[in-house]
Amino acid sequence: MAVVEENFKSISPAEFFYKNKEIAGFSNPARALYQTVRELVENSLDATENHGILPTIKVSIRELEVVPEGAYYEVVVEDNGIGIPPKYVPQAFAQLLFSSKYVLRQSRGMFGLGAKMAVLYAQITTGQPAEVIVSPIRSKHVYSFKLKIDIKENKPVVLGFTTTSNILGGHGTIVKLVTIGDWTRSRQRIYEYLKRTAVVAPYAEIVFRDPEGNYLLFERSIEKLPPPAREALPHPHGIDLETMRSILKSISDKPVVEGLVESFQGVGRTTALRILEEARIGVEKRAGELSEPEIETLVRVMKNYRDIKPPRADHLSYLGKEIIVAGLKKIFEPEFATAISRKPSVYEGQAFIVEVGVAYGGKVPVAEKPLILRYANKIPLLYDEGSDVVYKVLDEKKGIDFKVYEVEFPAPLVILTHICSTKIPYRGVGKEAVADVPEIESEIESALREVLRELRSYVLQKRRELEEIEKAVAIAKYIPEVAESLSRMYRVNPQEISVKLLDLLNSRMKSFKIGSLSSIVM
Amino acid sequence: MSVSSYSSKVDVKAREAALKVLYEKFYAVLEKILSGEPPKLVIKKRTLSNTIYEPERKLLLLGESVFERSFLDVREAKKFMQTLLMASIIYEALSNGEYPTIRDLYYRGKHTIRYRKLPSKSVGEENTWDEQAESDSVLRDIEVFTNVLREEMLILSKEKGKVVGNLKIRSGDDVIDLSKMGHGAYSIEPTPDLIDFIEVDAEYVLVIEKDAVFQQLHRAGFWRKYRAVLITSAGQPDRATRRFVRRLNEELKLPTYVISDSDPYGFYIYSVFKTGSITLSYESERLAIPNARFLGVMMTDIFGSSKLNKKPYLTESERKNFIIRAKERDIKRAKELKEYPWFKSERWQVELDEFLERRVKLEIEALAGKGLKFLADKYIPDKISVGDWIE
Repeated sequence: MAVVEENFKSISPAEFFYKNKEIAGFSNPARALYQTVRELVENSLDATENHGILPTIKVSIRELEVVPEGAYYEVVVEDNGIGIPPKYVPQAFAQLLFSSKYVLRQSRGMFGLGAKMAVLYAQITTGQPAEVIVSPIRSKHVYSFKLKIDIKENKPVVLGFTTTSNILGGHGTIVKLVTIGDWTRSRQRIYEYLKRTAVVAPYAEIVFRDPEGNYLLFERSIEKLPPPAREALPHPHGIDLETMRSILKSISDKPVVEGLVESFQGVGRTTALRILEEARIGVEKRAGELSEPEIETLVRVMKNYRDIKPPRADHLSYLGKEIIVAGLKKIFEPEFATAISRKPSVYEGQAFIVEVGVAYGGKVPVAEKPLILRYANKIPLLYDEGSDVVYKVLDEKKGIDFKVYEVEFPAPLVILTHICSTKIPYRGVGKEAVADVPEIESEIESALREVLRELRSYVLQKRRELEEIEKAVAIAKYIPEVAESLSRMYRVNPQEISVKLLDLLNSRMKSFKIGSLSSIVM
Repeated sequence: MSVSSYSSKVDVKAREAALKVLYEKFYAVLEKILSGEPPKLVIKKRTLSNTIYEPERKLLLLGESVFERSFLDVREAKKFMQTLLMASIIYEALSNGEYPTIRDLYYRGKHTIRYRKLPSKSVGEENTWDEQAESDSVLRDIEVFTNVLREEMLILSKEKGKVVGNLKIRSGDDVIDLSKMGHGAYSIEPTPDLIDFIEVDAEYVLVIEKDAVFQQLHRAGFWRKYRAVLITSAGQPDRATRRFVRRLNEELKLPTYVISDSDPYGFYIYSVFKTGSITLSYESERLAIPNARFLGVMMTDIFGSSKLNKKPYLTESERKNFIIRAKERDIKRAKELKEYPWFKSERWQVELDEFLERRVKLEIEALAGKGLKFLADKYIPDKISVGDWIE
């Protein structure tokens, strides 16, 4: 959504971001290195899974030269995505706010400018151009670009362009940046980010080479992709003034009725006419002719218009139980994992889906609190946990009481929450915490309670089984003694008695059988 | 030459009888297992609530309430194993012509079971039994379950009862004259049922709780002079002593008198002879002596009783010297005794009330302290001749 365009009319967006780089997460070398990796990886994931490709992503960071602020690092991210057509490459990587349509689509980055920020930051700090190599699907060629951003004009500058033959026939994108970073202070973050990304992308293969030469491989553990995010028109209930202005501008030549019909979901001609009538706007007017008071009234009427279908959710890309469980199992190796995806719900005219997963036991570390993995549109949220809506649901005093679900801390418990929506209500510019919107909070709580109920059943079942195993052993250990005693009195074969007694014991056990006595009695 | 060839014929018969019962009673366990049914033992409960006083027969008996000891019940599995282990050890000892003590049985059965705990697979160790109390307990269960007492299974226990008097017995292959024991006495053997009474010349049996007083009376020639069989239980009577006295009473028709300390514990010792004990109520029928008489020392022997129109045997100054202040636990015990059905007789209530009122007690030694002559030639013969006993 290119809501911001209007704001930055007076200065070039590139200039604006240059002056406000902390907004995009590039406030210092440590943060910047992490953010660079993150933006490029997210771009790669979007370029693969949204197009039905199982992602294979290679990330490499090499230290080139130490400088006072940190060091020069070469960051390379390679994917097997669709590969952007070469004619769009300069804009896609070196022109901020390159976007044409006012449609909503759930994607990882919010403004689609993450990678560009990385390019910009690299250029500012090291002066080196970005290298982008693309090979679209079925392309006979591989195209290499050397790009810079003209900050004043917000235009891509192509420093070099070569074409080679696509001998291997692959497709995808390679982005190579040289940027200032601080590996020591971002190592933890980058590893955590990759690990958490791997949790919700078990269908991806991710290889990481760090500056110290260590390799980390997340293997693909499931061949299933989440449904791709599809584009959807905004819903009248979710409209705000800024968006409305942008939309009207994009259709300024059309009659406003037509404009509304083609720009919003759930709005047919009849509805559009009724809305305009209620807003006292003449039907004959063109979209570009509306006065500021008229736009304000139109927004108010649309937000409160009742006789309309709720926002569609079929365009949202949620992970689904299978993928969440596969991810949790792959990364944490728990003894139990489950997940649920709630039915779509709506807040402020935006459709959203909440998913919650839990992993319990096994190799999950035992801790005083559950390990919370928060995601929004498949992006891991690593910081600011305390102000997140999830934290409210888990509040120790007012939130969920885990004892009800047979979990007593310290316990080995991971909780994963995923909110997907065309618009995530982030708290603040850091995009690390979701605001406590009541509708979302309620969905998270319901989802969490649902998976915890499953966990409870599992724990109880497990406990019963454990009790049964203990009981079986408590009896079985005496079998040879009983058999020997009877053998002393009746000259019977003790083996025969032991076998009979073990059979009897096993026949009483529901969930557990002792294979042979020699496995119990030594 | 095997040990058993020394055994008397009586022994051999007892062994065969006990072996047969053990074999038959536990055979049901084997049968159940072979036919694929959960093995269990049904045993009468040995609890206070299942101890019943039968007023007509004046016996403490085991009630009819039973419990099931099932091997597949995790709470009973170990006890089940212990019971079978004990049964098989006794069975072997009987077959081999041995005379194990209860301590021997404990050691024979005690060994370590090593097993793997699940799911941890760590190794656990557990003894078949740790304390002798555990093996003793299953032995009692076996006695109740088979209705065969340990003596009948030729199991020995440490016995402390002693006897002297004009009595000839056969024990094993020997004939023993109990009037020719010198200053010593005949130790009652653990298997008194294997004794034959050959000859007796006595008018009654006198049981003294205290060994020291027994020895004094013996050296004073009391039993010869008064034609008594003199016995001491040396404290709480063991099974063999009780059985021996019971046989004298039952088979030789000798009246039996008991002298104990004058306190609730002494009174209870008498009641064990007479009606049986709570812990061994299953043996009462064989051990109790329902017509045993409590000769003393009574509270009313010390203080007299206006209600009974009875004069005291002690003067006021003697009382002062001999009596001891009762302790809290004595008082508590006296109150418990007052509630036992077999102490509910009017005569016993007088004694217990007197004790609870006076809150003092007296040991038999104190009477001997007044003079052995007083005890031997006045107190005992007088009380017997005037019938001053409690039945």
